[in-house]
Amino acid sequence: MKFLCVSCDEQMKLATTESDPRGSLAIVYGCPSCGNQISMLTNPAETQVVSSLGVRIGPSGQEEASKCPFGDVVREMGVEGADNTVPWTAEALNRLENIPDFVRPMARQGIEHYAKSNGYKEVDELVLDEARTQFGM
Amino acid sequence: MKNYFDLPGDGGSEVAAQVAEQRRAVKGRLKHLSQFVAIGSGKGGVGKSTVTRLIALELKRRGRRPAVLDVDFNGPGQACLSGLTQVVPVPGRLGLTVPTDSVGVGVLSLGSLVPETESVEFESVVEGESFTWRSIREFSALSDLLASTDWSPFDVLLLDLPPGAERTFQLAEFLGPDCGLILVSLPSALSLSVVARAAAALSRLPNPVFGYVENMNGYWCGDCRKVQPLFQSHPETELALPRLARLPFVASMGDARGVLNRVPEVLQEAIDTLCGNLLADCKPDRAGDRS
Repeated sequence: MKFLCVSCDEQMKLATTESDPRGSLAIVYGCPSCGNQISMLTNPAETQVVSSLGVRIGPSGQEEASKCPFGDVVREMGVEGADNTVPWTAEALNRLENIPDFVRPMARQGIEHYAKSNGYKEVDELVLDEARTQFGM
Repeated sequence: MKNYFDLPGDGGSEVAAQVAEQRRAVKGRLKHLSQFVAIGSGKGGVGKSTVTRLIALELKRRGRRPAVLDVDFNGPGQACLSGLTQVVPVPGRLGLTVPTDSVGVGVLSLGSLVPETESVEFESVVEGESFTWRSIREFSALSDLLASTDWSPFDVLLLDLPPGAERTFQLAEFLGPDCGLILVSLPSALSLSVVARAAAALSRLPNPVFGYVENMNGYWCGDCRKVQPLFQSHPETELALPRLARLPFVASMGDARGVLNRVPEVLQEAIDTLCGNLLADCKPDRAGDRS
């Protein structure tokens, strides 16, 4: 979708995107010539269509709209996710970020349970490698 | 006044570019594979999951490194067939680690991660409209799985597709022309007619369709040591595809839990021929019976 400033016959530039916790997005465009701004307001259904593609809405650098198609699913399944009692190192978190969105809560919960059961105070890459071996991977 | 096509770019979010990047990420993850094959049908209950498992087992026996991705998110059969029913997903150095079963086949299935008592629900902000998002979300999840999983330990990736002629077409389109297909059908007129429709739709795509497997063309009688007929009449419908194998139903296949870790002896020759053709990268020639 593009926006044209009719007065100036110029393409309007994407300025910012703001999300509402109720699911709406306010996507602000401005005319580089006259400075006039408009805000396109999406309803939650429209927001959901695009976010289901797993893409960022808004200019790069802005907070990414949730792209996990299973975010609500995971909660429904009763996977509470991490209870955050076992800290993760930055390197371990980096590995967690590289797996599919919807698998992360399950991975985090299972690995933290493994770490706690084996007396580890934190989850680092060695714990992850050990968990892989333990789970037959 | 300028129109849409006069304005450069896509509006600022670069959604199209992001989607293209997702596709590139998937392609990048899979480019090392020597075989990328989806097993589908169009018809449900014809034995796609079992045939996929049998192919994986035979490829493993032949020294290949196969992995299976269960694409049927809400009907995942590969977890049961492989015995990987409760798995903790572990992030490796290059993405999600694919769990490996007791015979060394990699299996990634939601059946390993989601308990049988749960289903994968596609919530919607609008009550009762989840069907609107389902397809987009499924493909988004599939894209994420393919692009964020470490497939590097494997050289063959088999995809067990969900039923439905339209879904088979959509998935083939999504997976791209590098993905070949094997269709599975029962020898009944009902099954062949549905699978024929799927095959007709697939003919519009650039994906190679290697042929079809005629599953349950009889049943193996352990007492008389012969394949006995299962369907009364020979259907007139024929698929305009090479028949890659004819497999009888074998009641004793798999153990008491449903785990299948060995190709039954009675199926060995057929599966061996099928995999031999697959590895030879057989091209669809729409003629001849390769079984």
